[in-house]
Amino acid sequence: MSQTAQASSVAVPRRTMRQWLKRPSTIAFLMTLPLILLIGLLVLYPAGYAIHLATLNKGMTRFVGFGNFEFLFGRETFWMVVKQSCIFAITAVVFKAIIGFVVAHFVHNIPSKGQRKWRGMLLVPWVIPPAMSTLAWLWLFDPSYSAFNWVLAQFGADPVPWTGDAYWARFSVILVNIWIGSPFFMIMYLAALKSVPDQLYEAALIDGANWWQRIWYITLPMMRNIIAITALFSLIVTFANFDIVRILTAGGPLDLTHVFATWSFLVGIESGDIPLGASVSLFMMPFLAIAAVIILRDVVKRGSQA
Amino acid sequence: MSAQTGSAAQASRAQPVRYGSMSRSRRWALRWSYFFLVLFAAFFLLPPFYMLITSLKTSAEISAATNPWWVFSPTLENYIELLTTDQYLVFFRNSALVSLIVVTLTMVISVPAAFALSRMKFWGSATLATGVFLTYLVPETLLFIPLFKIFAEVRNLTGIELINNWWVLLILYPTLTVPFCTWIMIGYFASIPKELDEAALIDGATWMQTLTKIFIPVALPGLIAATIFAFTVSWAQFLYPLAFTTSTDQLVLPVGIVTTLIKGDVFNWGQIMTGALLGAAPPLVIYAFLMDYYIAGLTAGATKG
Amino acid sequence: MKRPGKKTTRRQFLGTTAAVSAAALTAPYIRTAHAAGKLTVGLWDHWVPGANDATRTLIEEWAAREKVEVSIDFITSQGRKILLTQAAEAQARSGHDILAFSTWYPAQYAEQLEPLNDVVEPLIAQNGAVNGTVEYLGKVDGKWLGVPATVGSQMKGPCSRIDLLKKHADIDIQAIYPAGAEPNDKDWNLDTFMRAAKACHAGGNPFGIGLGVTSDSVDSVGAFFHAFGAKLVDEKGDIAVKSDQVRAAMAYMKELGPLLAPDAPAWDDASNNKWLVSGRGAMIMNPPSAWAVAKRDAPQIAEQCWSHGFPSGPAGRFGPFLPYFWGVWNFSSNKSAAKSLLTHLSQESSAYKMVEASGGYDIPAFANLTKFDTWSKVEPPMGTLFHYPDPYHHQVLSIAAAPAPHKIAVQIYAQGVMPKMVVRHMQGEDIERTLSWAESELEGFMRT
Repeated sequence: MSQTAQASSVAVPRRTMRQWLKRPSTIAFLMTLPLILLIGLLVLYPAGYAIHLATLNKGMTRFVGFGNFEFLFGRETFWMVVKQSCIFAITAVVFKAIIGFVVAHFVHNIPSKGQRKWRGMLLVPWVIPPAMSTLAWLWLFDPSYSAFNWVLAQFGADPVPWTGDAYWARFSVILVNIWIGSPFFMIMYLAALKSVPDQLYEAALIDGANWWQRIWYITLPMMRNIIAITALFSLIVTFANFDIVRILTAGGPLDLTHVFATWSFLVGIESGDIPLGASVSLFMMPFLAIAAVIILRDVVKRGSQA
Repeated sequence: MSAQTGSAAQASRAQPVRYGSMSRSRRWALRWSYFFLVLFAAFFLLPPFYMLITSLKTSAEISAATNPWWVFSPTLENYIELLTTDQYLVFFRNSALVSLIVVTLTMVISVPAAFALSRMKFWGSATLATGVFLTYLVPETLLFIPLFKIFAEVRNLTGIELINNWWVLLILYPTLTVPFCTWIMIGYFASIPKELDEAALIDGATWMQTLTKIFIPVALPGLIAATIFAFTVSWAQFLYPLAFTTSTDQLVLPVGIVTTLIKGDVFNWGQIMTGALLGAAPPLVIYAFLMDYYIAGLTAGATKG
Repeated sequence: MKRPGKKTTRRQFLGTTAAVSAAALTAPYIRTAHAAGKLTVGLWDHWVPGANDATRTLIEEWAAREKVEVSIDFITSQGRKILLTQAAEAQARSGHDILAFSTWYPAQYAEQLEPLNDVVEPLIAQNGAVNGTVEYLGKVDGKWLGVPATVGSQMKGPCSRIDLLKKHADIDIQAIYPAGAEPNDKDWNLDTFMRAAKACHAGGNPFGIGLGVTSDSVDSVGAFFHAFGAKLVDEKGDIAVKSDQVRAAMAYMKELGPLLAPDAPAWDDASNNKWLVSGRGAMIMNPPSAWAVAKRDAPQIAEQCWSHGFPSGPAGRFGPFLPYFWGVWNFSSNKSAAKSLLTHLSQESSAYKMVEASGGYDIPAFANLTKFDTWSKVEPPMGTLFHYPDPYHHQVLSIAAAPAPHKIAVQIYAQGVMPKMVVRHMQGEDIERTLSWAESELEGFMRT
């Protein structure tokens, strides 16, 4: 009796340790630990530091609280940038989502032996590093050498000021963003389309559903999560886009194509006001965060139901 | 599942009349599909095509305002120049190393995390799943200045200089790839029927075995999609390498091409286009290769499901 | 360091070593000793093929003599890479010992840069005075924050097509700016310039002056403003935008704007080069990089190019000048070696080699170093760059946004306030509204 008690008292801590290690929640925690460390150290900590920067004065010597934001809210250019960023990001994401969906659908429609070739071709824009493909667009839009304008000139049309006129310039930067981003939507949707069981379509066909009803009642509901995540992700990164505007227009003409990232770079690095630049970059975060939390909660809920 | 398939098959056999109309509408759908695919392919491939044309021109021909869509005296000069100059090969090597290691790291971090978050509920798991995605809200343009400070602290503490070394990108890129890959994987894992892993656990499999023996094979398409994503993102990164590496032997391809072929206000268009095309080649080749796996994974998943 | 010094550079090196050794001891960490240590240098990546090599050779010469291990990075200004590197190194307090800084950036990093009076003052005594713009940009509160660099320092005066100016405007630019002789430029003023712009526009070869927000556009527009004596912010930091001079400059630019290339408001630094090389423009405002590209790709156009001085206005003749500096971080662990190297790079023989290697693009800041034969011997056509460095000092070398205090001026410059004002007014906005807009922008720049 006493012997066994003794033995068990030695074994208990070891067993609890082992049990603790075997507990699903512990294993789960250990599995997510690298992720937590990565994000904590390289995103959250610097982001916290950036928030701290945004509360300092220009010379980074004094705490000013929301002073930088108060200053920004009084600037005409800032509100222009807000408006333009919204136009840029929302238009681009909507078109990317539509084009991606349509193209994915068509690729899915054709016989599978030809699909590989088409997928390969349609992925090309996403594969070329954007910093370089944007340079190709810059060259296509060039005021002196525009290859598009050369074609127009062959038809006797006037040259288009691709980056010179405010509306054309906005059109151009959005177009390039759509061009780069659509293939990503396509590939995500295609993967989702493949996971919709064919039987569902066959059953719908038998029930006499037309193509539109099939998309509306089968495809879209089945793809809801992927559509939501892809669109949300794209919206966030498009709001943060830097390369395209920087290379194509550098914000011009008259700041009419500046977005958050380019303006924040101009203010922070080029004009030497790092706290203000940080504030510009931070401004959109709470709004996107709210949108993201709402969308993601929905996704998670549906995910756990499935 | 098999019962469902059977009933659907029975149903289609029971109504042979509709079969003809199905195939006719199918033919039309096919025609429309090809028509639109050609249209979109033209839009998607126009700039690369123009890059190809420009890359075959001499700088004199580029400067002459002739027909930009035609090459009058084609030359491979730009390709030879880029493929024989040491520094471009170094850019290539750096890009390849960075991308491959980052893809591996990304998978090592995100697959277990996704598994844990989708199957093993624990305190804070739901918040963490959402929180992971929210990291994208923090733009790179906001992070690089604080990161300089942090790297300086690291140097002061450990003596390891992170700035201006290509391998610093190995710890930076995962912040851009891991969250999305984790999310893709959570999505795929969530679509796997719960009975599958419950059965495995009852049979005495550990969590790790469940992950490697059941989840990873079944979610292969998702895994490959995530790999493709991670590779493309790492291959294309511009701002971080621009900010954190300076010496020519530390640069990755996009930054190397842009910073060495554009000098002040002088652009070497022919070489830039060549560099962009050569830079796009490795991912394209990898895609062509992985696509087969992707399809194989899909069919495997379908038969198992 | 152990051998007795014979050269000037050596003596200065020894002198400064003692002064900074105390600082070096307290530096965060000391690199491995290798005779006189290690030195990392970040220089502006020159677009002229071979120009980097000349600088590299000069540095390696010095390094071999001083037994210093040097590593050199050539950093492009494209994509603002060099600005990013500066910001990065200033924040991290580590990086290159010597780094190139253009225009406003020595003043921007005044707190992090080592004062270099002990290098620059002897150089001025030796090589002659520096122009006012270099002093304004490089010397803050009596401290030289950088050594005026030969590499990268450039003029952005007009580069005209001899044939097109003759054909459309009946102006013989070679007669006004004859090779090898003093310019006959008393009639080369803003009125003549406007007449020429009109004639060339009508003839289908408009002038290619950018109205974008990159430095070429800002520099040219800034020189026009200077010609009218128009300042946005004065030297005391007071906003002076609502002045008659600014109104006069704006009225001139409003008339000139529509005569320029059609996309001028969207131009970047490369657009004017392309405009010239494509043969469409009769004049651009640029250092000779555009001409040099034309020489390589379109020789028949290069043969007709002539670089010369800016037209004069009511306030005088102002040539846009964009200087580079070599600065030394105050957290550098080898300041003495850095100073010694900078002295070496600023010797007349070094400057000559750099100018020669850049085909005359680089202009040393010191007065005695602007008479090299490079500028009179490059061709085609013979003498095309003779007047590029302003050999007879007919112009005031200037920078846009001067004489405002640096931290305000850098914002005016980086955000292209002047070209934006011009474009607004040119597109029909009332002058008073434009000036009010500018005033409000400038008020925003007063943040401390």
